[in-house]
Amino acid sequence: MKPIRDAQLGAFTFFASALPHDVCGSNGLPLTPNSIKILGRFQILKTVTHPRLCQYVDISRGKHERLIVVAEHYSRNVGDFRQEQTVSPEKVLQVSYEVLEGLDFMNKHGLVHRALSPNNVLLDCKGNVKLAKFGLYHMTDHGADVDFPIGNPSYLAPEVIALGCFNPSDPSHSETPLPSGPKSDVWSLGILLFELCAGRRVLQNIEISDKLKFILTLGCMDDIVTVLAEEHGCLEIIKELPENVVELLRKCLTFLPSKRPTPAELLRDPVFDGISCHYSPFQKPVSLFSSSLRCAHLELPDDISDLCKDDDEDYLSERGIDEVYHLWCLAGGDLEKELTNKEIIQSKPPVCTLPKFVLEDGESFGQGRDRSFLLDDTTVTLSLCQLRNRLKDVAGEAYFPLLEDEQSSLPQSNSSNELSATVTLPLIIRERDTEYQLIRIILFDRLLKGYPYKKNLMWKEARVDIPPLVRGLAWAALLGIEGDIQAKYDSIDKDTPIPTDRQIEVDIPRCHQYDELLSSPQGHIKFRRVLKAWVVSHPDLVYWQGLDSLCAPFLYLNFNNEALAYACMSAFIPKYLYNFFLKDNSHVIQEYLTVFSQMIAFHDPELSNHLNEIGFIPDLYAIPWFLTMFTHVFPLHKIFHLWDTLLLGSSSFPFCIGVAILQQLRDRLLANGFNECILLFSDLPEIDIERCVRESINLFCWTPKSATYRQYAQPMKAGGEGIFGKTAIYFSSDYQDMPKTDLSREPLALCDLKAEVSPRISAEDLIDLCELSLAGPTKRNKSGKPKIVAVDIRNVEDFGRGHVSGSINIPFNSVFGADGELVQCPASGALQNYRGRVIVIISHAVKSAALFAAHLVKVNFSRVCILDGGISKLKPTGLLTVPSPQI
Amino acid sequence: MKRSRSKASGTTDREFVFEFKAGKNTCVLRVPLQLPVQLNIRDLHGRLMLLHKIPCYIEDELQAALSAFMEEQSGLDFDREAELGLQRLACGTVDVNQLTSAWAASYAQTSLEHARPEEPSWDEDFADVYHELIHSPASDTLLNLEHSYFVSVSELISERDVELSKLQERQAAEMDKVMHELGNTLSDHDVNAVASQHFDAQQVLENRWANELKQVTAIQKQEYQDWVIKLHQDLQKSNNSSKINEEIKVQPGRLAEAADGGCRPFEEQPLLEESFTIHLGAQLKTMHNLRLVRADVLDFCKHRRHSSSGAKLRRLQTALSLYSSSLCGLVLLVDNRVNSYSGIKRDFATVAKECTDFHFLSLEQQLEEVQQAVLYARAQRCSKQKQPAENQKNGGDDKSKAAERNPSNILPGEFYISRHSNLSEVHVVFHLCVDDNLRSGSITARDPAIMGLRNILKVCCTHDVTTVTVPLLLVHDMSEEMTIPWCLKRAELVFKCVKGFMMEMASWDGGISRTVQFLVPKSISEEMFYQLSNMLPQIFRVSSTLTLTSKH
Repeated sequence: MKPIRDAQLGAFTFFASALPHDVCGSNGLPLTPNSIKILGRFQILKTVTHPRLCQYVDISRGKHERLIVVAEHYSRNVGDFRQEQTVSPEKVLQVSYEVLEGLDFMNKHGLVHRALSPNNVLLDCKGNVKLAKFGLYHMTDHGADVDFPIGNPSYLAPEVIALGCFNPSDPSHSETPLPSGPKSDVWSLGILLFELCAGRRVLQNIEISDKLKFILTLGCMDDIVTVLAEEHGCLEIIKELPENVVELLRKCLTFLPSKRPTPAELLRDPVFDGISCHYSPFQKPVSLFSSSLRCAHLELPDDISDLCKDDDEDYLSERGIDEVYHLWCLAGGDLEKELTNKEIIQSKPPVCTLPKFVLEDGESFGQGRDRSFLLDDTTVTLSLCQLRNRLKDVAGEAYFPLLEDEQSSLPQSNSSNELSATVTLPLIIRERDTEYQLIRIILFDRLLKGYPYKKNLMWKEARVDIPPLVRGLAWAALLGIEGDIQAKYDSIDKDTPIPTDRQIEVDIPRCHQYDELLSSPQGHIKFRRVLKAWVVSHPDLVYWQGLDSLCAPFLYLNFNNEALAYACMSAFIPKYLYNFFLKDNSHVIQEYLTVFSQMIAFHDPELSNHLNEIGFIPDLYAIPWFLTMFTHVFPLHKIFHLWDTLLLGSSSFPFCIGVAILQQLRDRLLANGFNECILLFSDLPEIDIERCVRESINLFCWTPKSATYRQYAQPMKAGGEGIFGKTAIYFSSDYQDMPKTDLSREPLALCDLKAEVSPRISAEDLIDLCELSLAGPTKRNKSGKPKIVAVDIRNVEDFGRGHVSGSINIPFNSVFGADGELVQCPASGALQNYRGRVIVIISHAVKSAALFAAHLVKVNFSRVCILDGGISKLKPTGLLTVPSPQI
Repeated sequence: MKRSRSKASGTTDREFVFEFKAGKNTCVLRVPLQLPVQLNIRDLHGRLMLLHKIPCYIEDELQAALSAFMEEQSGLDFDREAELGLQRLACGTVDVNQLTSAWAASYAQTSLEHARPEEPSWDEDFADVYHELIHSPASDTLLNLEHSYFVSVSELISERDVELSKLQERQAAEMDKVMHELGNTLSDHDVNAVASQHFDAQQVLENRWANELKQVTAIQKQEYQDWVIKLHQDLQKSNNSSKINEEIKVQPGRLAEAADGGCRPFEEQPLLEESFTIHLGAQLKTMHNLRLVRADVLDFCKHRRHSSSGAKLRRLQTALSLYSSSLCGLVLLVDNRVNSYSGIKRDFATVAKECTDFHFLSLEQQLEEVQQAVLYARAQRCSKQKQPAENQKNGGDDKSKAAERNPSNILPGEFYISRHSNLSEVHVVFHLCVDDNLRSGSITARDPAIMGLRNILKVCCTHDVTTVTVPLLLVHDMSEEMTIPWCLKRAELVFKCVKGFMMEMASWDGGISRTVQFLVPKSISEEMFYQLSNMLPQIFRVSSTLTLTSKH
């Protein structure tokens, strides 16, 4: 969004009309409240950016269908300089040209102002026009969702009056009038310009109905401008106006719409010949994902130091309006309080407004009309003092962090110590810390500007946290979205009916509907389009219930950018849910769940033993977890925190999340039987998501990568990652991405896999983790790797003939008794000493190793795994050592 | 004002024609389009490209042509529609006066700028003043003053009760005497005469007392309000409020003495209650509080003496929240007549009269207003039903007939609302009309009483009633036909319905935390109570207890 510069933030409020009591929609579900409809429709206005329009920033819902809109605001408007006499013709032309520029841009986006009046034509410090409240007509569905008529009566165009006002509370109008067209704004502009020229208000102190009648009677007049001038006693002034201004007035105040020009036509009119040359057409800034060059229009001044000449210290004003508003909220801004302080929100005590009598269908009687529900569209300026005060200690350098060196950490500024202290605080607190968020937002903003070049740094910073304001784009960057996504999305046919439509239609009104955005009709439309686009563009895959939940976080974050939501979803699914959406996905899911239950056994043998005992297998509860990557079970705000980490992890990270969730419910699961467990999971209790993330990272670090090997996982990408590819980090790279060698894991039939309690790991992993290699121990940083111990269960003779260095020899029969209990002996004592380490069982045949592992799990040994292929795999490597006879 | 949208102005079919050159060939693309176009032009463009396999080098050209076409066509539509409207006006199909007055009315009704200025409302001013005072150090004084007024009223009431009982005693004795003589010297006629004489005497006495009470309460109310306003003015006038503070401080002592006189101890019944914290919602969970209480419904209304522990605090709590946005409500089950002559209605009226209501109209006056509202509602409904006669539902017929019989009566499922400042724990009382079906038969979730409950919860949402007390079994007292299975079944139904409504409420008000108290009659056994309290966590998901364990 454009920088705030000298603009202010303004807020105004209004009420959406209340719904008739107890009416259901055609689908049998309750109607969407009007305020939510408006909220959904508002979103697109945030993308309408033009120098002549006040930028819309945010909308929020209050109690009782109240809506508060935040937008760019200026305290001066053209109404102000009417008080001091007339305005010079040059100024009139300038104002009209700029208003028309704004109107034209709006029309291009399908918007009509309808409420054009001097109050809504604001002037910035340089005296340029900024249109305000231009989105009101659009967001209220042409006035259908609010009780009040939109527009000031004096400025309404005759055809607007003739088409009547729509009053939802009046049942006699069953039909909505057609919306007003762009030309009605031209009439309003005409009246406004007339006022500027004449230096007086039109039709002041007249009853509304008489005003409107007067406007309608103008149709019979030949020369409306003269009639108006006569009526207001300013014929002399009007006569003295230059010819082109009078011509402009005439054109605007043409009674018949068909003869009146549109804003676009008027802009090209010869009356503006003199001034149109001063204005250059507006260039839309190039978005992050497009086919055109983002730096194509970048022009550096000849002398670079010109850029630094700006000795103005107010760096905050160079930040985007949305950023400033976001920070304003974090610094304790409260919209309702601001409006209440200015007495715009006045509420009566509820006990005074109770109805007296209510019928069975919910209609209430005896309740006076509450005056506090009336429209007062005064815009209140939100003071930025508190925010500036809060940020006064942030050094100027912090606004322009250097990204040159990949090694440098957070920006070095005075407050960096404080910041590094903040990093250690819980995420929830960091997300509410004004200074911290400012620094993070600036950093991410700059990293995104450098995307994809700065991808590596992005990954690094994302491990700290992702600021909520830029999460949508940050995720896209983490998912590696590139290219002209909009063109790709546009070329997908999202309209032609397909058989999946019905299922999508059923699922959408049940998906994260507690959220205002996703429950709005606009949200539903976007949901439908993105889902359809995905289904249509992936002919080998099908729509499975759950895809809607998966789509929800992307749509929520990129509500105004369906193409990006689609692109993110399309990139996410192959990475984490490869082939989950096949028509017959049972083999994929079965393998996934089996690996998951091995993971449970690996990390929490006690829980695994209990769950297996009562027969509570992952198939009963975990399918929706993994199929939707937990989006079905958590509310959006938790999904965001979970996925911030998930996106950094490899495709096996979800296993760890699953285990972490189970561990949070551990006590209750252990205490309960099958039925209670089923009940518990049918409505998952609250999960502490930050703890869950922390624990799953820990679990992930303890899991050897090949342990989560899946035959049906996404095969290795061909060609690698390209020039901007991230350096392979141990945790984020997938096992599948590694080149396949003889030492890698072999695919295993599902039934064999199911039979094994503990996961297998590859010889490769063992070599890596035990740091065996022919070149001797490498000097790699050891900290990130799990501690490991290799247990060789072959008999002593075989062990003596060659074994993995550092491994201990515990022959199979030596430690377990007849019933599988651990026998007290030196070998088992040694085993006990290694409790907590990753124990790799090595033997001749995998079968005996699996049996040994199963026994260990039974007696609650954690982190037990088996070497895939047994000792024979290692033989060709020449890594086996033979102990010298004396030892 | 009624306009029928002409066929032509709805959706119209237009043909979009686009010519382009491919090598030497000139191709023409013709697309029938429906206007106004609902979908995105970019999508349409993408579809056309795909469908007609249009070469990509004319992609931009096609897009430009398409959007120009759309703009032009929609411009034409707007113009035609607008001029149609102007024409209708010119030829008189639409009346100018009617049109403009409709506009004027909608402006006047909805926007502050054009609305008639508000006449100052004394009630609301008083509300503001009181709300301010009760949240100041003066609150103690206010409460003590209220209490002293309460004491004087209850003294009056006890005096009345004594006098009435004396009269009744005397009359009973007299009647005994007369009955004794019946058949000898006196005839039936004489007995009747005596009886009617007694009745009249009683009536006279009762009326006298009623008048006196009314007068006293009126005086009290006036005095109280004057005092409150004056106190507020004094507080505002003096910046140096030390003097006022003294004034405030002096009074309690004086009043406390007055309060000591005439103690009528309330017997405290052992109250059974159990509280639950629940989570509602599938993904996003909202927290609410539930409470199961075994008590008499009027226990929530009865005003206790300061002597009973906690009563004053409770009283303060109620006073503090009176004009706030967390009100307390109570559901009272009543019959179909709006009065306070019999049953629970009379008991409630007695309780409501025990203390002067310093803020709202007396219950009688409120009921009169309700009666007016009921009549108005019936009239509205009748006129509405007459207009679209075909809309009438089959089921609605006999109900509307029943209402026609006596329009001042209310129907099951309907409720009226009274407001009180003088009850101990309740600000708002929902008088829900129920019929005898509830006592005997088994009911479904579609029962009017349940629907009424839903509407009550809805009003709670819209008017910030955050605590509401609901009779769980939908009866105030137990009778023989209410067996254990009956109770369990009824409780399950109400629990489940309320759960559903509470989940629905989350979408109305954004999931504000509320408290719902389920009330069971006092006569219910302890065992039954615990059975019910076991049932509750099975229906609502009780939030998990936070177990603190040391790290192993």
